[in-house]
Amino acid sequence: MSSARAENAASDANDSYLAGVKAEIRADADAARMRAPLPRKEAPPARSAERLSHDGTIDRARLDYSIAELTGDHYTAFVDAAFRALLKRPPDEPGLDAQIRLLAAGAPKAEVLGNLRYSPEGRAIGTRVRGLLPRYALAKLTRVPVVGFGLNWLIAFAGLPLMLRHQRAADTRNAAQFLDAQAHAGRIADDVRGTNARVDGVRGELGEASARLAQLTASFDERVGTLDARVGETESRLGDVPSLRHYVHAVNHWLVSLQAAIDGIEGASDANRAHADALIAAVHDASEVAAARAARQSAWIAALRDRIGARARVVELGSGDGSFAAALAGLGADVAGFESNGVLARRARERGLNVAAGDPMAALARCEDRSLDAVAVSGPPAGDGLATLLAEAARALKPGGWLLIAAGEPKRLADLANGRVAMLDRPIASALLGAAGFAVDTAFGGPDAVLARRA
Amino acid sequence: MLVPGLAPYDAVSNDTLGMTAALRALGHEVAVFAPHSRDVAEAVRPHAEIDAWLAGADDVLVYHYCIGWDFALDLLRRTKARRVVRYHNITPPEFFEGWSEGYVSACTAGRAELDAYAALDCELYLGCSPFNLEDFLKRGVDPGRCAVLPPFHKVEELLAAAPDARRLGSSSDGAPELLMVGRIAPNKGDFALIDALTVCRRMSDPRTRLLRIGKLDPNLERYGVAVREHMHAMGADAAVVSIDDATPSELRAAYAAADALVMMSAHEGFCVPLVEAMALGTPIVAFGSSALAWTIGDAGIVWNEPDPHLVAMSVMRIHTDLMLREMLRELGRARYRDAFSPAALAGNLEAAFARFAA
Repeated sequence: MSSARAENAASDANDSYLAGVKAEIRADADAARMRAPLPRKEAPPARSAERLSHDGTIDRARLDYSIAELTGDHYTAFVDAAFRALLKRPPDEPGLDAQIRLLAAGAPKAEVLGNLRYSPEGRAIGTRVRGLLPRYALAKLTRVPVVGFGLNWLIAFAGLPLMLRHQRAADTRNAAQFLDAQAHAGRIADDVRGTNARVDGVRGELGEASARLAQLTASFDERVGTLDARVGETESRLGDVPSLRHYVHAVNHWLVSLQAAIDGIEGASDANRAHADALIAAVHDASEVAAARAARQSAWIAALRDRIGARARVVELGSGDGSFAAALAGLGADVAGFESNGVLARRARERGLNVAAGDPMAALARCEDRSLDAVAVSGPPAGDGLATLLAEAARALKPGGWLLIAAGEPKRLADLANGRVAMLDRPIASALLGAAGFAVDTAFGGPDAVLARRA
Repeated sequence: MLVPGLAPYDAVSNDTLGMTAALRALGHEVAVFAPHSRDVAEAVRPHAEIDAWLAGADDVLVYHYCIGWDFALDLLRRTKARRVVRYHNITPPEFFEGWSEGYVSACTAGRAELDAYAALDCELYLGCSPFNLEDFLKRGVDPGRCAVLPPFHKVEELLAAAPDARRLGSSSDGAPELLMVGRIAPNKGDFALIDALTVCRRMSDPRTRLLRIGKLDPNLERYGVAVREHMHAMGADAAVVSIDDATPSELRAAYAAADALVMMSAHEGFCVPLVEAMALGTPIVAFGSSALAWTIGDAGIVWNEPDPHLVAMSVMRIHTDLMLREMLRELGRARYRDAFSPAALAGNLEAAFARFAA
């Protein structure tokens, strides 16, 4: 009993773990869908006549045949054509096999046609074959013990004059074919003689080529010998190869040591980065900072509520712990956020938000042209980075799309001394945005943010 | 045991022969009848002799259903023996619309014939999965006359085969490898599979490969051309290794090389490759259509939509997450052991046939 309970507990734990993994995969897939959209959907196949393994086509509209039309072919071609005419499909393997076995056992073609035509599938299609029913019934009757035997004799006896005429015709045809075959054999013998002559010629050319190859090989061996001798002379002149090898090994050793040192530096850098992220996250959580952030974001949301529609595609750069992304999602927007701080990005994902860890500017560069309704930036870069941001935002936004630039929060230790959010210089920001193709929305008067519309 | 044909590497043949061996192990006298067979280790008798072999009402006739075989329908109507219809499923014809008129006709006819088999009121309808049995239940067959028995298979032989990776091409050296096993047909989701491969190559590693093992029926040539064109449009020609005649050793190597068996099929009556993956410890990522979700159970990552991004991200997660990979392998092996191992199938078969003991 306790074993069963333990198994159930393990199963529940697995289910819970898998559910968590699937939620993370779904978030990754959503982000991937935005970064690497597939270029096309599967197009429905064009309707056209089926390519056939034999030379006929399936004519679904035709439901009337004569026996002569269907019995012109032989063996598999006959059965294939019969399936296509009577069942309107190519033969399946067991069906083909069964009818071929019948033919091989001496059954008349009318019996094969009747088997298909009067099967449940054939009856459902209802193709008419003129004169088939009596011949099919006769073929079946010949299989009845005793009666069938007598009937076969009767049919054979009645058909004797016709069979004799067929036999004589066949004799004539065979004689004609024999003469044709003899003529073919003569031509083939001529061809073989010609081919033999060509083979002899090729054999002679091959002998000459072999002799030439032997000469070349001897010449090559001589030159290799000369080269060996010169290499020997050079080695003796060098004489100092062991010391050269020592230097090469020393350089290799130095390179390996250098690689180890670089790995160590990179490891320490990663650790420092993680530590810095944790510190910034602690600042992010500080109650005064969080309260100020909530107030600022409320003002931004109030401004965006009437400016972007439901299902708007919004990218947020510098998402922090996702509080603004969550508010945007509350407006019905389809939000993808990017945050360089790994601690904050993970926290946002744990809240079920589509926020990826990574360089926000690189994420914006991967967005398609004119694909976004709004871009929100918290903490814009300075200098060339700002110019790049404005250019990328202008490219990725649809005409009329909105760009919200907010001053960043104090994320560096040095900023803590100020104890407040940096203010934007609105006149300079307006001039910059105008030059980049945006019109600043003067109705939005936040002291630490500017809202602009793409022309 | 009546079957339209027996051949190596054929799922119905494997099921027939496995069921035959299991019934013999239970002490029953079993004979196999078929119009043709090749390269199977069983003395197969001509189907025309089955009437003489069935002695009376105590015997049991197991018919492995196939499309368009009137002989079997007539036999089931006239025999005094107790009758079992073993059903492996028929793909709905709409999957073949626009690709093959022949398949559309054959599948339509096959589904229409189900009415006749349901009306026979046989003593047992044996489906490979609960999904399969729905075809008979919705035609009014008494649920008390239905039972689920997963198909017998040759997975133990696969487990014993020595891997042979020579034809799998050069390994992608640490990049993810996807695997799909099954014939190339419109219900198999080949387009979504190539899309998933494309997402993997764009988001993770451009060296990601797909090992595609399965045949293309010449009657579905147009579909094969369309799949190849899609592959080319996605720039994935060189990333797909196709093998249409894999030996057990090559199949074993493919399962060993793959990060996951990716099954995007929209219609499966059971799907034996899933069982092979479970037994060989290859994680499974699948679109949970038709019988797939039931077959996989808890032993894989199953999605309710055939979304290439979801599938691609699942494979990438398995590729990088050792803990998840090991967990899926263990879950797969456990499901194989509990539900699909020869011993488990023999137990299921014995339970299903217990009704004939009296």
